[in-house]
Amino acid sequence: MNVARSVARTALRTRTYSTATTYVPPASLENVLPRRRVQLKPIPESPNFYTGRAAYYDQINGLETAIQHTRSALQKLQLLPLPSFARHSIPPGHHVWITKDGLTEMLNAPLTTSRYRRLLGLLNQLDSYRRIADVAGVGMLADRVAGVLEVFERENKEAVLARGKRKPVEFDEHGRSYTVGRRKESAARVWVIPVQKPETSTDVSTSSTTSQKAAAEDVLPQLTPTITSAMSDSPLKPITVTTTNILINNTPLSQYFPIPADRERVVRPFKIAGLVGAYNVFALVRGGGTSGQSGAVSLGIAKALSAHAPEVEPLLRRAKLMRRDPRMVERKKTGRPKARKAYTWVKR
Amino acid sequence: MSLSHIRPWLAAVAQCSRRVSRTAASGTSKRFMSASASKERPLESTEDWTKFQLDRADNEALIEYFSQYGSTQTRGNTWQPHHSLHRPTAPANLTLSALLASGAHFGHSQALMNPNFMPYAYGVRAGITVVDLDHTLPLLRRAANVVRGVAAKGGSIVFVGTRADLRPVVRKAAERIGERAFHVGEKWLPGTLTNKIVMFGPDVAKSEQVIPDLVILLNPIPNMHAIRECAIEHVPTIGIIDSNVDPRIVMYPIPANDESTRTAELIAGVLSVAGREGVALHAEELARNQKARSQTRSRVRDRDSAAARP
Repeated sequence: MNVARSVARTALRTRTYSTATTYVPPASLENVLPRRRVQLKPIPESPNFYTGRAAYYDQINGLETAIQHTRSALQKLQLLPLPSFARHSIPPGHHVWITKDGLTEMLNAPLTTSRYRRLLGLLNQLDSYRRIADVAGVGMLADRVAGVLEVFERENKEAVLARGKRKPVEFDEHGRSYTVGRRKESAARVWVIPVQKPETSTDVSTSSTTSQKAAAEDVLPQLTPTITSAMSDSPLKPITVTTTNILINNTPLSQYFPIPADRERVVRPFKIAGLVGAYNVFALVRGGGTSGQSGAVSLGIAKALSAHAPEVEPLLRRAKLMRRDPRMVERKKTGRPKARKAYTWVKR
Repeated sequence: MSLSHIRPWLAAVAQCSRRVSRTAASGTSKRFMSASASKERPLESTEDWTKFQLDRADNEALIEYFSQYGSTQTRGNTWQPHHSLHRPTAPANLTLSALLASGAHFGHSQALMNPNFMPYAYGVRAGITVVDLDHTLPLLRRAANVVRGVAAKGGSIVFVGTRADLRPVVRKAAERIGERAFHVGEKWLPGTLTNKIVMFGPDVAKSEQVIPDLVILLNPIPNMHAIRECAIEHVPTIGIIDSNVDPRIVMYPIPANDESTRTAELIAGVLSVAGREGVALHAEELARNQKARSQTRSRVRDRDSAAARP
């Protein structure tokens, strides 16, 4: 009885399952494709993923690698380490790197100033290596490094570097330069064209039509007697001067500026440069008075001469002819009759 | 080489050696002196630069030629300081003397010793706890086995070293292992693992595997946030434990000096070599599985075609 009860109890206790899958002995699994147990998720791409700023540190690592490779290449080429006399021969770097905001946009992540400066430090280091390779004539290495650095340069790099520099004066198809000069309230537009040389150089030229000074030079008297002048009776050979025209508002210089000081101011750049009679000038000037207009034309002519004959520019600069005179009429102030003049002071 | 060939070079060497003392005194010291033939005036044209480069190359060639008559110890066959980073030792080749040479046995002050570090302390000398390297070596080998095992199963490993001198170490170690290794050289941002949805965005957190399979810490003290996050997310950790640290904060402690760069380079190098071995094993396993799968497929195809025929 106990055995029967215990058997029944065990029968009740052990549950029999009717399973969907039948037992398959292992030998039959040889024609069954093995199923992949775990579906692996893809891992992050960047090795800097766990820093939280993968894009930034990827750039930093890339630049560090570029610096290492460039350094080893320069060492193999005997260009590093450089002694001081060689280092002084390297031209200074003109670089315009991307701004912090631009870099933030590029990385699509927030960027602090310290991180930005760190990146800039690496860029400057790489740029110094590029300059060494460039000046030593290693074109391929310099170009490759420049390609890496180009990514981090601002788009308007040329514009930024050209700031503060004068725009180069362009010549048209006839060889004319167009420059602008300003003084006080006057503005002058000046076209300067070099004079065509005459075919024969031996003919004695007549006096110039409008250039007073040229006419004056023709008949300069010999003040000190020389051996040749004492020996011969014939007069001295006159100096050949090409005729030039200076037209201002379509009128000749002598007519437009009756005051000699104004004429002198207009012609002074030619005198300083030693190019009297070499260029024709056509100017349109507007605004201001006589001295202002003559000063404006003078500045325009000086700029044109430095474009036509660049070797003359230091002379004009030293003579202060290239400077736009900043002096303007000072405004009148309240409580005063004029800019500076004050009303009579009354004690009471 | 006959004497007639060497005589001008000997004269040049005599000249060089005279200049070397002069330049050494002036303080402009370089490995290869260049002042012998070059002029001190600035270099203007590309030809000047080329001549400068050739002069230097000539000097190097000269020294190269005469080095065969000098010491047998050369730069090529001696240990250089950069070797600990660029030429790591394999775990099987690791020796106690290498650990000693890197200064792994220097702990911190005796007064600062953590009582849980006692099993790994050898003793005290000059007020400094000396780490027992007889424990360090097998524990380092065990950690290497862990790294190898994780890599062999295709797991992702993160090297954490948040000091300036540890940055190149962790980077190189991760690069050595390959695709599935990552490195953190700057501050570990708290919440990287526990706040991944906010940190990386919901798309990345859902689609990619953000929680790594192993984290190796070269300086655990400043990275307690990382250790805590790994514990919360059940990520096994390996760490270099110094004498002022409780070894139980990481799963596989390596008792050693955490302040020495050379020790960190040695340990990270050993672990990265083990990781590289694991990656190779994983690749082998994948290839084997692929082959087995293709064989099974072809067998199933043949069987189906045989059954379909009659």
